[in-house]
Amino acid sequence: MFLTRSEYDRGVNTFSPEGRLFQVEYAIEAIKLGSTTVGIRTPEGVVLGVEKRVQSPLLESSSIEKIMEIDTHLGCAMSGLVADARTMIDHARVTAQNHAFTYDEPIKVESVTQAVCDLALRFGESVHDEDAMMSRPFGVALLIAGIDELGPQLFHTDPSGTFMRYEAKAIGSGSEAAQSELQDKWHRQMTLKEAQILTLRVLKQVMEEKLDQHNVQLAQVTRDKGFQILEEANLKEVIDEM
Amino acid sequence: MNTLAEQFSTTSALSKLKKTQALLEDEEMSDAMWGSQAGFGNVAQGSPSFAVPAVPDPSAFLRLHTDDRADPNCKIKIQHGTTTLAFRYQGGVIVAVDSRATAGSYVASGTVKKVIEINPYLLGTMAGGAADCQYWETYLGMHCRLHELRNRERISVSAASKYLSNLVYSYKGMGLSMGTMICGWDKTGPAIFYVDSDGTRLKGDLFSVGSGSTFAYGVLDQGYHWDMTDEDAQELGRRSIYAAGHRDAFSGNTCNLYHVKEDGWRFIGNYDLSKLHYDGPNNVPGAGYGYDIRIAGRASALQPAVAAAA
Amino acid sequence: MFDVQSVAHQGPQSRQFNPYTENGGTILAIAGADFSVIAGDTRQSEGYSIQTRYAPKVFQLTDKAVLAVNGFSADGKMFVKKVKQRLEWYRHAHAKDMPIRSIARLIQTMLYSRRFFPYYVYNILGGIEDDGTGSVYSFDPVGSYEREACRAAGAAQSLVQPFLDNQVYYKNQTAGQDESFPTHLPLPSVLKLVVDAFTSATERHIEVGDGLEIYVVLKRDSTAIQSMEGVQEVTTSEEGQRVFYIRRELKKD
Repeated sequence: MFLTRSEYDRGVNTFSPEGRLFQVEYAIEAIKLGSTTVGIRTPEGVVLGVEKRVQSPLLESSSIEKIMEIDTHLGCAMSGLVADARTMIDHARVTAQNHAFTYDEPIKVESVTQAVCDLALRFGESVHDEDAMMSRPFGVALLIAGIDELGPQLFHTDPSGTFMRYEAKAIGSGSEAAQSELQDKWHRQMTLKEAQILTLRVLKQVMEEKLDQHNVQLAQVTRDKGFQILEEANLKEVIDEM
Repeated sequence: MNTLAEQFSTTSALSKLKKTQALLEDEEMSDAMWGSQAGFGNVAQGSPSFAVPAVPDPSAFLRLHTDDRADPNCKIKIQHGTTTLAFRYQGGVIVAVDSRATAGSYVASGTVKKVIEINPYLLGTMAGGAADCQYWETYLGMHCRLHELRNRERISVSAASKYLSNLVYSYKGMGLSMGTMICGWDKTGPAIFYVDSDGTRLKGDLFSVGSGSTFAYGVLDQGYHWDMTDEDAQELGRRSIYAAGHRDAFSGNTCNLYHVKEDGWRFIGNYDLSKLHYDGPNNVPGAGYGYDIRIAGRASALQPAVAAAA
Repeated sequence: MFDVQSVAHQGPQSRQFNPYTENGGTILAIAGADFSVIAGDTRQSEGYSIQTRYAPKVFQLTDKAVLAVNGFSADGKMFVKKVKQRLEWYRHAHAKDMPIRSIARLIQTMLYSRRFFPYYVYNILGGIEDDGTGSVYSFDPVGSYEREACRAAGAAQSLVQPFLDNQVYYKNQTAGQDESFPTHLPLPSVLKLVVDAFTSATERHIEVGDGLEIYVVLKRDSTAIQSMEGVQEVTTSEEGQRVFYIRRELKKD
């Protein structure tokens, strides 16, 4: 794609003659620089796992937050420009709460994903007095996990505002290797435990450092307990089991 | 009402109403009509917007058509709530309320839930406009949850009550009517805040709100002690609501009792006030709270039916 | 005759904005174990004159929810129209029909958005919950709401509600020895109560009468519907609950 680079890659709202929006494509590229993030759906629930890049021994690894709660039944893992994800996740949280307030029911996983994607394309020049929008596309991809009346679901969103549902998905720098590993190992009747271990195995393969409870984070959404991030002690148990 | 000063003031309730109105007219064509915000109606813009009649003084219009105390023949009868109480003691917070809603002199409902479960550790009570309390306390619940997600920490009772107080204060003079107690347990322990639609916000140990509050206070004040046992505290709450239901015509039907402890609130029970009158909380015939029950057969005015027949 | 002199003596005249009228009529709803009955009369009046003998007050929203509106009929019509619009949007956004408890909350927020310029309507919503139980929600004009087993609203509410309290909740009745009151009434008894409530209200209230429309929302697998004359099935989908429509005449004087 870099061959066709031209003046069309500067404006965020200008198509190139071949019909491409370069800034959006570059934003998608930005995600490939992010840390690897994995999500797996099982009949019991959804597992999310991220690699934390602890660049310095002086860095507090617990302050790296790459998995966040949207609501009791919804979680989200990110890869790319983490700061951009905060805006999107706050939007998702507000949408989920507005939905619960207006309809007295938890929002569907797909609906909250759709809401995040609506935001993804609100860049460029603002129209009349709409609230200030982004001047560029978001540089982050999300894995949104949740449970609703349709069961456990996993969605992937990218900077173009496209979303798709996956059984298992990897994003970030190691995503290509990770995705093919998922394709090999994933099966329909996986238990939650198996999914946790597979997530860690996949992360381990693509990580440069030795995997331990400080440089990965695991979260899950289950029917009875909802969204939860695994405590370091629990995480260590799963790592030891691996 | 519609004075000259008010017409030109930029801070009066009237001018505020006019601003909300401008906002609303725009809504018909705004982006909120489509996309993922489409379903949220007047809440879509972040804070709710409200329709306002195009008259010089909208709050006078509202008063004319809905205030049944000023005019019993007005058409729109908004339900009103009545006796509520909450107190703090050694074992947590007790919240007790009645369940009668009146529209004018008609008992519109005898099964109203006047305790609003904001979340698992916060309760709000309902006195004044039923819809005002229900709507704004549910709305408060939504913001408490957002606070929790954004700050990874439960909101304090103080912060929650101040949020509500600031919210209703921004509608001051527009006709909201609510007197509520926000009760819960946070890092500081059990807490109660009284918040009303005038903008008052008070921290305290013991409150009662509504037309039956004077009767409830009578029982409450003489029976209250910080070191009470849980059982005694629950009984005091029940007994006070019974007293209010007995003497205040706008209160009655049943009593709903809640107890807030460190791990959140718990619903204790629903008690029929006339059963409390005759049989008391333990359902023992003759062990009721009623004065006439206690003097039956002894005072000349109240001979037992058998004696009268004989 | 018009006396110019006396009007002049009365001093300044004031005019008020009064967008409301009262159009009479009564609505009611009763919930059973796996059904819900929603009914309303069809007379519309203003003051002492009858405007029409057939003005529906009960509307089917979805295949599991029916809404009855009473009060000022123009506000009521507009309100039902807006609720239906919001239900349609919801269907497009979330790819499903709105559950009844969600409709109830939606109605609260819609009524409350007119807190300072209220709809003069009393709403009763009836239908089947997601768990298969029959339900009734009642609202005040600005949106306070509650789930109940039965509720009457409108002109004859003070005539009908005490009757329902006694016959549905068994208020002020004592069960005989070794007897107990049922928690839910069967459908035939409920339909009888509804018809009796309206014929009686017609006798004693001038704003009630002409016709009676009854909607029955029945859980799909329920066997409760019995052969009753004039029952018409108006179910709209194969998956949803079944909806029936019954029409009865009431006295027209």
